[in-house]
This record gives sequence, C-alpha cells and structure tokens, in this order.
Amino acid sequence: MKKFSFRGGIHPLQDIKGGKAQTRDKAIRDFVAETVCIPMNMHIGAPSNPIVKKGDHVQVGQMIAEAVGGIGIPVHASLSGEVIEVASKQMLGTKPSMCITIQGNGQDDWVELTPLGDVETVPAEAIVPAIKAAGICGMGGACFPTHAKLTPPKDKPIDIVILNGAECETYLTADHRLMMEEPAHILAGLRAAMRAVGAQRGLVGIEDNKPEAIEAMTEAAKGLTGVEICVLKTKYPQGGEKQLIQALTGREVPARGGLPYDVGVNVLNVGTAYAIADAIIYGKPVVSRITTVTGCVKEPANLRLRIGTSFKDAVEACGGYSEEPGKIFAGGSMTGIAAPNDEVSMTKANNGIVVLNEKDSKAHEETPCIRCARCISACPVGLSPYQLKVNYKLQKIDEMEKQHVNECILCGACSYVCPARQQLTPAFKDVKEILAMRRAAK
Amino acid sequence: MNLRLSSGPHILTRESTRTLMLDVLIALAPTTAAGVYLFGLHAAWVIAVAVVTAVAAEFIWQTLMKKPVRVGDLSAVVTGLIVGLNMPAAAPLWMPAVGSLVAIVLVKQLFGGIGHNFMNPAMVARAFLLASWPARMTSFIHPVRLLGASEATFGVDAVASPTPLVLLRGGGRGSFAITDFLFGNMPGSIGEVCKVAILIGLLYLLVVRAITWHVPVFFLGTVAGLGWLVGLDPVMALLSGGVLFGAVFMATDYVTNPMQRIGQCIFGFGCGLMVVVIRKYGAYPEGVTYAILLMNCVTPLIDRFTSRRVYGMVKQHG
Repeated sequence: MKKFSFRGGIHPLQDIKGGKAQTRDKAIRDFVAETVCIPMNMHIGAPSNPIVKKGDHVQVGQMIAEAVGGIGIPVHASLSGEVIEVASKQMLGTKPSMCITIQGNGQDDWVELTPLGDVETVPAEAIVPAIKAAGICGMGGACFPTHAKLTPPKDKPIDIVILNGAECETYLTADHRLMMEEPAHILAGLRAAMRAVGAQRGLVGIEDNKPEAIEAMTEAAKGLTGVEICVLKTKYPQGGEKQLIQALTGREVPARGGLPYDVGVNVLNVGTAYAIADAIIYGKPVVSRITTVTGCVKEPANLRLRIGTSFKDAVEACGGYSEEPGKIFAGGSMTGIAAPNDEVSMTKANNGIVVLNEKDSKAHEETPCIRCARCISACPVGLSPYQLKVNYKLQKIDEMEKQHVNECILCGACSYVCPARQQLTPAFKDVKEILAMRRAAK
Repeated sequence: MNLRLSSGPHILTRESTRTLMLDVLIALAPTTAAGVYLFGLHAAWVIAVAVVTAVAAEFIWQTLMKKPVRVGDLSAVVTGLIVGLNMPAAAPLWMPAVGSLVAIVLVKQLFGGIGHNFMNPAMVARAFLLASWPARMTSFIHPVRLLGASEATFGVDAVASPTPLVLLRGGGRGSFAITDFLFGNMPGSIGEVCKVAILIGLLYLLVVRAITWHVPVFFLGTVAGLGWLVGLDPVMALLSGGVLFGAVFMATDYVTNPMQRIGQCIFGFGCGLMVVVIRKYGAYPEGVTYAILLMNCVTPLIDRFTSRRVYGMVKQHG
C-alpha cells in the first residue's frame, strides 16, 4: 500500500517511549465531574456572551452563552444543575476569560434535542447552521469554528475534505481510540461535511502506527461515496494541516497567509467530524470530548470528559498523580500549552492532559549553536531556524520576516532536535506575534 | 504545587553537543588504537599531549576570560585528538602542544568559541605546523609493528622515508601491497594510515547518524572519479595519504561545512577537486589540508546561495 508523507520532520516517538504506549490500549470511558467551569473563549474569534446568571438552573446541552460576531459560536451547559458563578478567571492562555461555573445535581438531565436525521438525506444547506448551533470548533487543537471553515468564499470551490487522523503528537491516543471505537460515526460526520461544501472526495489520513484504527476505518468506509482511507508514514508533524494536505493531495497552501480553501481543500480533525455527526444525527451540541490523560498519573486513560472539567478532577479520575508534578500541559509534548495550575479547565480543543515529573520539567541551558544542520533537516516548511535565531538575538525582526518566519507553523521540530538546546520555536512564536501586531496596527 | 510554565516543545531529544562529540571520539577510537599499535608508545604520548593541551587551553582561556567553561562538551577533546592523529609518529612532544594551542586559542576561542570558528581548528593547526616546521612534519617513520599479512619490503630501521604519495603521482603503488594500504603498514601520520579503522569509524558515525553521507561520499567520489580522469589510480588515490581521514573526520566538522544538503554535496565535491588538483599539479605531494581549509572559507558563500524552497512559495494560486 502506498504510504503518504512530506519532506522534513522528526521522530520524537522513538525518544518518548512511555508516551502513547501508556494509553493506546485503554478504551474510552466516561467521567462526569461534580462541577465544571466553562470558559467563553474556547474558540478563535470573539468570546461568547453568557445568557445565564448565578442561581439559574440549567440542563445538559442547554445554551448558556450566545455566539458573538460572524465566526463566533455558542456554548452549552455540560452538566445539569445550578450556575454558581459567572466571573472572569485565569485559564489556559495569556489573558483571563469569562467563565460559567455549574454545580452538577448528579442527574444528567438533558434538554430536548431536535435531530436533523441521516447525514445522506438531510438538506445540504441545513448542515452548516446545525454545526454552528452545536458550538463546534476544531477539536484537534486549533479551535477554529467549524461552520466558518465550511463556508468558503464563493469563488473557492472545495473538492476535497480531509479528515486528520494522523495524531502525530506524542502521548495522545484520543483520536486513535475514537477511530477504533466509533469509525462509522466519524465517517458520518465526514460525509456531512463533504455534502455541506459539495466536495466529491473525502480522504482520511492515519499514521501507520495505528493499524487497528486503519483497519476499523477501512471497514467502516466500505460503501461510502468518495471516502478513502489513506495510510501516512509516522513522522512528526504529519498532522500539521499544511503537511497533511501536501502528503495526501500534493497541493501546497500558498504562503503569505493562504488558507486550505485556496487549494480546494478543507481539513477537519476526526474528533470534529464526530461532533458534526452528533449535531446532525442526534441534534447534540458539544458538551464533552475525548481526552488522553497521561504521564505521571496513576492510571493513564482515555476519558470522555465534560467540557469545563478541571485538570485536577481529570487527574483524580485517573487515580491521582503518581509523582509530584513539575509541569502539566494541554496537548502533546511538542505543541502542548503549559497550565499555570491544575484548577484550569479543559476546553473543546483539549485532546490531552499530560503530567511531567519535576525532573522532566527542568529547563535546559542554551549552549552555542554548532551548525549541525539538524534544524534544517527537521523543518517541514523549509526554513533555516539557526539563521532566524541569530537574527532574533540581534533583534533583526525585519530580516526574519524576509527569511519567511511568518511561514513557521510552530511545530517545535527544530527546538526538539537541537543538540545545543537553542530555544528556537519560542523565539519564532514571539516574532510572529510581534509581526501580527504590526500588521494589525497598520 | 509549583508548575513550570514554558512554551513547547516540552520534551527534547537526548542528543546533545556532548553526546555528538562523544560519538566522534568513539568513531576515532579504532584509528587511534591502530596508530598506537603501528607506531609504538611514542605515538600515544604525542596524542596524549595534544589532547591534554587542547583541553587545558580551553579551560584556562574560558576561565581567564570569565566565560562559561564548556570543556564538558568534549569538543576540545575531539580537536586535540585530531591534532594528535595528524602528527608524524616521531614528532617531538612540543609540536602537538603547539598545534593544540593554535587550534584552540587562535582558531576557536579568538573567533568566539565553539560554533564560531570559520575554519576547522585542527586543520589550521596542521597547516600552521606544516608551514613552520615542514621537515619535522613530513618526517615519517615506518611502523614498528605491522597489521595483517604483509609483503611490505621496506627496511626496518629507516627513519625518514617518502610516503606512497610520491609514488602515486607517477601512477604506481611501489612495493606496497593493497593490504598494506588497508591496514596501514606504511609511513604516514599516526591516525591516517589504517584505512580499515577509519572506515569502521565512518560506518559508526553514519549508523548513529552523527553525520550524513553527503560530504564524505562527494569528497571521496570526486577524488576517485576525477583522479581517474587525470590519470591517477583511483583506488590508490583514495587509500593513500590523508584523504580518507580528512573526508571522514575533518571535512564533516559541523561548524565549518555548509548547512543545506546540496551545499554539503558542493563542499564535498570542492574538497575532492582541490585534492586532485594539488596532488597532480601542485608543488606539494599532499593537498587534503589546504583543500579542506579552502572549502571552509567558501562555506559562507555556499550557505548564501543554497536554500530549500519554502512551503507554499511556488505559484500564486488562481
């Protein structure tokens, strides 16, 4: 069988042996927290506007915050019970966010849901509004509202929808398990997305280290119109949107701010497709997701967690910490976001909660670059990270822009391979933010 | 609970500058052992003086200059060892000391320490010694012991003798058997004679991925191919002198060769070209040192004109 791939990249899984092995055989199990604290800024775009107040009674699936602006999405209660607080709190990320805290009543009462029906027969134009109403955003980590993604400009027809089941990040097995356990539902979501944008083909990319997922998805894809399961070589960052498009279609998203629809492609995470199927078939909004809770926890697991569950509760659901934690991050070890404490909430995009012990959390001393060229081989974009870093130290921001720092996807591959422990990715993240602010100021 | 906040990646490769240098030292072990076996105890002293001087010079310099002491990264050990292996076995012990001082202080530290030197320190040291004491640097003794079955027919007590390089120019190999070339039963610098040991080192470096094949293959390929075109015996061109040692251990120095794969191929080709030109037409019998140094100087230029196409920079769609 042909295996698809891209140029550059690294193999971090070889170094992080414990990573995926801890949870790949753990079936998804449900966990319902006693309280949840749901942030309003889980997606990219304007934060949602709370429409409940302290003391209100809510049911699971009830809208508790409305969408703001064109790409905004609503937020739904993930527990039934009482709203005990509506306040601004420090969550993941740089700025505090408005959050709604719900004390559960242990009953799990759902609001009445209105299913749309079968994904093959529902009117195509009803799909995108249903996705927006369900509060779906990119569940692979990007958090971009899905209805906006599925509404490309009129002059940019989409012929391919790609499902991202690469899961190239370290530690995570949430997508792996979901593909093994619920392949038909994921593919129903893919079909709905294909029909919504009028795409003829639906490609599912899965790395070859997940043979069980490939088998289950291939079986489930039989008889579905235009759906193909494609095997990818296991290499990081294969799940990067641009790398996946390149590997599966040979197309390249144009540089300087181009988007997948510029080359007729839309990419969705498998978890997002699952949520789309939920929205169409059952009329269910996003109130939970699959998250891998692993690292230094007693019983690493793949949990179906209610949105807004605190990291602390998620870890408790896994038997608690097995060692004194030194760092906790949301996501895998390459691009995960470090949490300031374990009181923060998991969001719609939160595919992993990983706990490192103090030893593994220690900072590394930066030593001089020895020009080993490993960063150049690792970069999936074709940049010269070592040169960009030289200019960063000299604060030559304009020079870095000329060297295409804006094309950096912040995958972390260069930082990972650097034997001199140069902080490359953090420097590029910093500069990209500076350049974005400059553009915004113009 | 005190959690560390930092942006990803949160876990890094175990490979470090130190482990890479350790790999180079492991790769140099076979040829070091062979050199000492062939040329006797004095060769061991020459190597030891070179290594100790290099490490001491780096330590003292960094301490005096109030810089972070980085001898722990083992790069000075590698430089010292290569300086030592480039010596004739009978060199007086002050010579490797001078060589290592030049390499560490003049070439490496004065330009800003590891990663900042534009020429290979050990190569400059060798060139410096060659220019300052040409007779001593080219007085090669015969091995005191031989490796493998040998039909070598040279006198045991001869002190100074021409290396097979002089014979190479005429297109022959003299009285040396091919096995003598492979095992190092001939006069030459301590580390360069035993080709089998060097090839074991090359294999190790490639297997542990400390280096890639581009520089050595293009270097050696050019020496053989171009050598054959101008009338040199290609096998002898590869097996005589310091070509193999230079291609495996000196041209592959990260700091002084290009960053892009294509640049590394150009660099390897350039080294090979210079070696053939110097050997065939130059005034010196050997040209590896000058070939590599010259290409070191061209490296910034090669880097400037080679780059990978950035993703998405092709055609503007639509």
